[in-house]
Amino acid sequence: MLCVRDLVKVYPGPVTALQGISLDLPNGMFGLLGPNGAGKTTFMRILAGLLEPTSGKVTLDGQDVLNHPQQLWRQLGYLPQDFGFYPHLTGEKMLAYLLELKGVQAPQGIKKLCGELLERVNLTFAAKRKVKGYSGGMRQRLGLAQAIAGNPRLIIVDEPTAGLDPEERLRFYYLLAALAQDRIVLLSTHIVEDVAVLCTRFAVIRNGRLVAQTSPSEALRRLNGAIYQANVSADELETLRKSRYVTQAVLFEGQNRVRIYETNSNPPDGFASAEPTLEDAYLLTMRGDLTNGNGAAVHAAQ
Amino acid sequence: MSLSRWYRVFRLDFLHNFRRPLFWFLIVIVALTCWGLSTGVLQIATGDSRVGGTKAYITSQFAVSQMLVIVVFLFYGFFIAVASGMPIIRDDELKISDLLRSSSLTVGEYVWGKFAAVLIAFLGVLGLHLLLMIFFNHFVPNSQSLEIRGPFAYANYLVPAVVFAVPTIVFLSGVSFAVGEWTRRPILLFLLPVALLLICGFFLWDWSPNWLDPRLNRVLMLIDPSAFRWLNETWLKGDRGVRFYNAAPVEFDRGITISRLCFLALGMGAVALSQLHLAMTVRGTAGPRRSWFDVLRRRRLPGPQEVIVAPSPAPSAALAMRSGVPSYWRSIGLIARTELRELRSQPGLYLFVPLILLQTITTATFVEGAFGTPLLQTPGTLAVGSMNILTTLVCLLLMFYTVESLRREQGTGLASIHYATPIRTSALLFGKAMANSLVGVAIVLANLVACLIVIAIQGKVHIELWPFALVWGLLLVPTFLVWTSFITAAFSLTNNREATYGFGLGALIGTGYLQLGTKHMSWVANWPLWSAVHWSDMGVLEFDRSALILNRVMVLGLSVFFTVLAVGWFRRRDVDPGRVWTRLYPVALLKRALALSPYAVVPLVAGIILFNQVGHGFEGRAAKKDRKDYWRKNLATWKDVPIPALAAVDIDLSLDPQHHSFHSQGTYEIENQRTTVLRQIPLTAGDHWNDVSWTMNGKDYTPDNRSLLYVFTPPKELAPGEKVKIGFSFDGRFPQGISKNGRGVQEFILPSGVVLTSFTPSFAPVVGYIEQVGVEEDNKYEAKEYPDDFYKGQTDPAFGAARGFPTHLRITAPEEYTINSVGVLEKNEVAGGKRTVEWRSDHPVRFFNVVAGKWAVHPGQGTAVYYHPGHDYNLDEISEALDAARKYYSEWFWPYPWKELKLSEFPNLSTYAQGFPTDITFSEGIGFLTRSDAVSELAFMVAAHESAHQWWGNILTPGKGPGGDILSEGMAHFSTALLFEQVKGPRGRIEFLKNIEHRYEISRRMDSERPLVKIDGSQNGDTTVTYDKGGWVFWMLLRHMGRKQALAGLQEFIKEYHEGPDFPVLQDFIEVMRRYAPDTAAYDKFVKQWFFEVVVSEYQLTGAERKQSGDKDAWDVVVNVKNVGTGKMTVEVAAATGERFDEKTGKPKPDYKDARTVVELGAGEAKDVKIHCPFKPDRVFMDPDAFVLQLRRKLAVARF
Repeated sequence: MLCVRDLVKVYPGPVTALQGISLDLPNGMFGLLGPNGAGKTTFMRILAGLLEPTSGKVTLDGQDVLNHPQQLWRQLGYLPQDFGFYPHLTGEKMLAYLLELKGVQAPQGIKKLCGELLERVNLTFAAKRKVKGYSGGMRQRLGLAQAIAGNPRLIIVDEPTAGLDPEERLRFYYLLAALAQDRIVLLSTHIVEDVAVLCTRFAVIRNGRLVAQTSPSEALRRLNGAIYQANVSADELETLRKSRYVTQAVLFEGQNRVRIYETNSNPPDGFASAEPTLEDAYLLTMRGDLTNGNGAAVHAAQ
Repeated sequence: MSLSRWYRVFRLDFLHNFRRPLFWFLIVIVALTCWGLSTGVLQIATGDSRVGGTKAYITSQFAVSQMLVIVVFLFYGFFIAVASGMPIIRDDELKISDLLRSSSLTVGEYVWGKFAAVLIAFLGVLGLHLLLMIFFNHFVPNSQSLEIRGPFAYANYLVPAVVFAVPTIVFLSGVSFAVGEWTRRPILLFLLPVALLLICGFFLWDWSPNWLDPRLNRVLMLIDPSAFRWLNETWLKGDRGVRFYNAAPVEFDRGITISRLCFLALGMGAVALSQLHLAMTVRGTAGPRRSWFDVLRRRRLPGPQEVIVAPSPAPSAALAMRSGVPSYWRSIGLIARTELRELRSQPGLYLFVPLILLQTITTATFVEGAFGTPLLQTPGTLAVGSMNILTTLVCLLLMFYTVESLRREQGTGLASIHYATPIRTSALLFGKAMANSLVGVAIVLANLVACLIVIAIQGKVHIELWPFALVWGLLLVPTFLVWTSFITAAFSLTNNREATYGFGLGALIGTGYLQLGTKHMSWVANWPLWSAVHWSDMGVLEFDRSALILNRVMVLGLSVFFTVLAVGWFRRRDVDPGRVWTRLYPVALLKRALALSPYAVVPLVAGIILFNQVGHGFEGRAAKKDRKDYWRKNLATWKDVPIPALAAVDIDLSLDPQHHSFHSQGTYEIENQRTTVLRQIPLTAGDHWNDVSWTMNGKDYTPDNRSLLYVFTPPKELAPGEKVKIGFSFDGRFPQGISKNGRGVQEFILPSGVVLTSFTPSFAPVVGYIEQVGVEEDNKYEAKEYPDDFYKGQTDPAFGAARGFPTHLRITAPEEYTINSVGVLEKNEVAGGKRTVEWRSDHPVRFFNVVAGKWAVHPGQGTAVYYHPGHDYNLDEISEALDAARKYYSEWFWPYPWKELKLSEFPNLSTYAQGFPTDITFSEGIGFLTRSDAVSELAFMVAAHESAHQWWGNILTPGKGPGGDILSEGMAHFSTALLFEQVKGPRGRIEFLKNIEHRYEISRRMDSERPLVKIDGSQNGDTTVTYDKGGWVFWMLLRHMGRKQALAGLQEFIKEYHEGPDFPVLQDFIEVMRRYAPDTAAYDKFVKQWFFEVVVSEYQLTGAERKQSGDKDAWDVVVNVKNVGTGKMTVEVAAATGERFDEKTGKPKPDYKDARTVVELGAGEAKDVKIHCPFKPDRVFMDPDAFVLQLRRKLAVARF
């Protein structure tokens, strides 16, 4: 269990990046959703032992990881949001180097293990190439390979699917899902689909505060029968924004496809009931409507 | 180009400069330098050093030029390299390059904006530099600088800044910018300043041998990016007089103007090329940068392409991976291996190593010893001799590599992943340090190869590796360790590349300033051991050994301390700013200090012990106070008091070289040789003497102890001719304790050798008060001014006793030592592991010495050379000189009165030679390790000079007063010239005279140079007049009088004065020689200008033409000869073809032909001369046989 208590981080300015976050993460995949600048990366870096918080406490299975990050690092798999590699090493050598630094051991030996890991992230073809020639997606996959290596108790992945094409994203989902069965996997993303696909539970962070903590199914269940959808004109959309809870408005085939949140089963004319999505729940949460506006049954974290 | 966009780029980078710690470090260094130099540390070597004499201004245009050239080049170079080379690299690291290039910003605006920001920032520093110089030089009160401050003139600062500093800054900035843009490798940025430091600092600025062709010299002047060589060779070398330097502006010739413009253009051109290259890169016409090896490697076939495959169904558990913690040593090895891979892929190492190799070979090849003679390099002298350069360069490179290595994870973006691994921080840092230390190892190995090449080229010295292993292993490695740990700690503390460079460069410059610019450096602060180690092939690091050990222990302790700091401070985790303050609370700080304190114990204790030892050493405060007390208490009373003469010396000396100790017991028979009664007898004792007891006439006696001056009062006054016997007994260690900072000593008792003389109270008292003891800068007084007729009547000897006396020395030492002293060996017995010898003078002497060593002996004809068995390189030459000296000097000057002439070698703790009666001593750096060949015969020269002192010094002791010493040193040089011609033919004599003429030209001080009869050794420039000009004048006198008459005069002179009691000075010499002059009027004319005036000719040849004469094989040469110097001498002008002497054998070449005529020109006079040649000449030149002393002889040549 990863326990986070009252985590606060203030940058000079002062800018309060985290305003007292508390979380309990059991085994399994946990998603952290939030817009850019919400404090997700700060949170992840603190959990990874790379950033000292202003205050708060973090324990992993009872061990204080803030004061003793060394104990955390030996059981951590970490894929940061922004990273690079030594440009003059080949992918294989770079991975081997990191695996050895992490003390990863395998019966087949490090070299073979590297080959197998590279195969899992579909980089076998580039194993002998220098990393400086890798594309962004290839680097991301190499980063992923090192993060999942070993038998880490905690895996932290920050925006892991950025730069991955759909196939690789799918491959990544499989890998993480398999890993999450017997360990804690913390996934930070702003892509709601990642959470919907992977996470049994997730939290939403906004302005350094945890504004919601729930499971995707619970979030969807709460919206069941409350989402309506229709194609409207631009003028109508403006009117709707003033009178209704518009969850999403996207252009689809040149028209505004609008989804609204309506708990009173009284949608405007032309709106038909639609299946709720996690994105509806996320956007409503971000706007504060789901928790405060209508008292919807999303568990308020704080 | 949009000025608005250019300005935005410029402004952003320009303002960024002010946030750079490196920038502020430079400003602080510049400010401190201006302050330090305002006291006159760096002055032009000119002026009159006497009180009230005109001094060289530090504010003149020449002085400011010299200071700016050196400071800008040495100090700005590294800072400019970083600041100018990094902007584009930094944009790459910040990943904003592509963003910028995708904007409307053009490459030109981007490149020139960034370059202008750096350039203008550094020009701003230069402006501030000038203001600080003006402030410190003109406005800050400083009593030390009153005489060296001239009137303020804007041009004195602006002209040097514009002509010297600005092109240098533009050149360095531009080329560094280009290196950064082209390579994108920070480490290569340092290549330029390091290369320039090597090439300029250790070669271009300094290397200018006498034989260098002026045309090549001119080229070297113009390719020097700092222009210092031009300034030095054109204006500063060869003193032009203090009034000239203080008032005249620097005149720039066309060559230097073009050179400066070229460097300006090179800097700007490099930036323009960068713009071109960057534009091509952006457009894609220049491919991505590839490593050198990639280019060299064969082109590879395209690698496999990506294929989309289905995700592996196997769960990760199937891989059976386990997480753990890598072992400590494995982690270090892993990090080190990976770092090495990175280092291997960088071209820096491959560029630095050959540079350093070249540097070592060049430097080692041109090391000079006594009289400017090149030295043979042995493994030990090379190992120690290259320490300074090696330390400086390796420290610089270690700094660059360490910082870039520590920055690597941040630079590549791997830090987040790397630092979140369970590897220990110390393993991470050690691994990196280990890899970087291999850079040091590579450079040391390259240096070793260079040294071995030097030894192999010399072809005389055996190659041995152990001295390198010993010196570099034991002494250099701790320096590198402490430096690496210090840089790592600085980086850990600042987490900033530039701040770390600032700390590092600041530490190096600070240490350098302490070493070179002050007198405060000691073993405690000299962590790089700069110039503190002496090597002797005769004994390994015996001198100051305890200081060396303590210093290294302290440095190793410091490296542990810095390592702990580095590991503790290294930031794998970004620190919370709020918590930083809490860590600075006094209690928190105290806790941290307590935690660190165990690691500070070793360096602190070693440092305190060392400090204490320095304080109690022979240069320490206690010894200094003793000497000052001696001076203070006795100067007024005893300085000019007539002293009695030694009538006989009998000493028992027991030596224990292993413990540097001795016991001395003996008696002096002292006689009142004066015409008046003598009430008291002063004897000077050594401050290293213990358990001193005295007797007078066989009875215990307690003299008046006046702070090392013991004053004896006989029971009754000593009437003229009466004698008293004073006995003494004492123990001592010599030298007492350690030096302050490795300064060598002239006398010592060491396991490798013993040197003791009667000139100082090292092993026996000195009769009278010694004027030089206790005199330092703060209490230095001017030499006594003598009236013109001071020599009339009785003149005391310049050194030694007034009358010869017999000596009897019984010396005991371990049996393996040979012990030499003056006179003949009467007894040599070995018993109980001890050797006892008795030396008794077979003819009276005026001073005596004891020298001992573990020698081999090379006997000659009435001579013997005692030498270190490994130093037989020049043995035949030295022995030949000794034999020839004994034979010919006896024929020419006076029969040698002693039985044997010995020459003994001693460890090179100080490079000098002394000629005691029958017992000459040479340090190994003189003669024995002179790089001599068939042409130069330098070992012969050194031995001939020192042998000559048996006559000019011992047989004839000069008188005390101006001109006295010239009869010793000038005569020795003159005798050497004669012996050269006698034994080696004209080539040897001509080369020797040209050599000392060159030394005179570059060492003389025009303003303070006085006539020979006034030279007393007290002024700067007196030495070269005493030796070199003195030797030349005697040679010209011999030419003037004719050899036969001159030698007869010399014999008469010795005959008249060799027994005293009146000792001669130059006026006495002139009087005697006049008796033998064939033409006294001409003699008087010669004597007037060369002995009583300061003259020296300088000839210029212009308008030289050669025309075929009537005869088809004959040519007529016409040339205008002008004496732009002073003096009037008959001198030959020669037209010649071919080389006169064979370069290898020194023998005359048959194809050489010359035709001559003579000309006599006074100061400023000119004359056209015509020379008819029965051959086609290729040049016309002055004084082919080196008969007339002149300046700039090399330039007095006209080639056809």
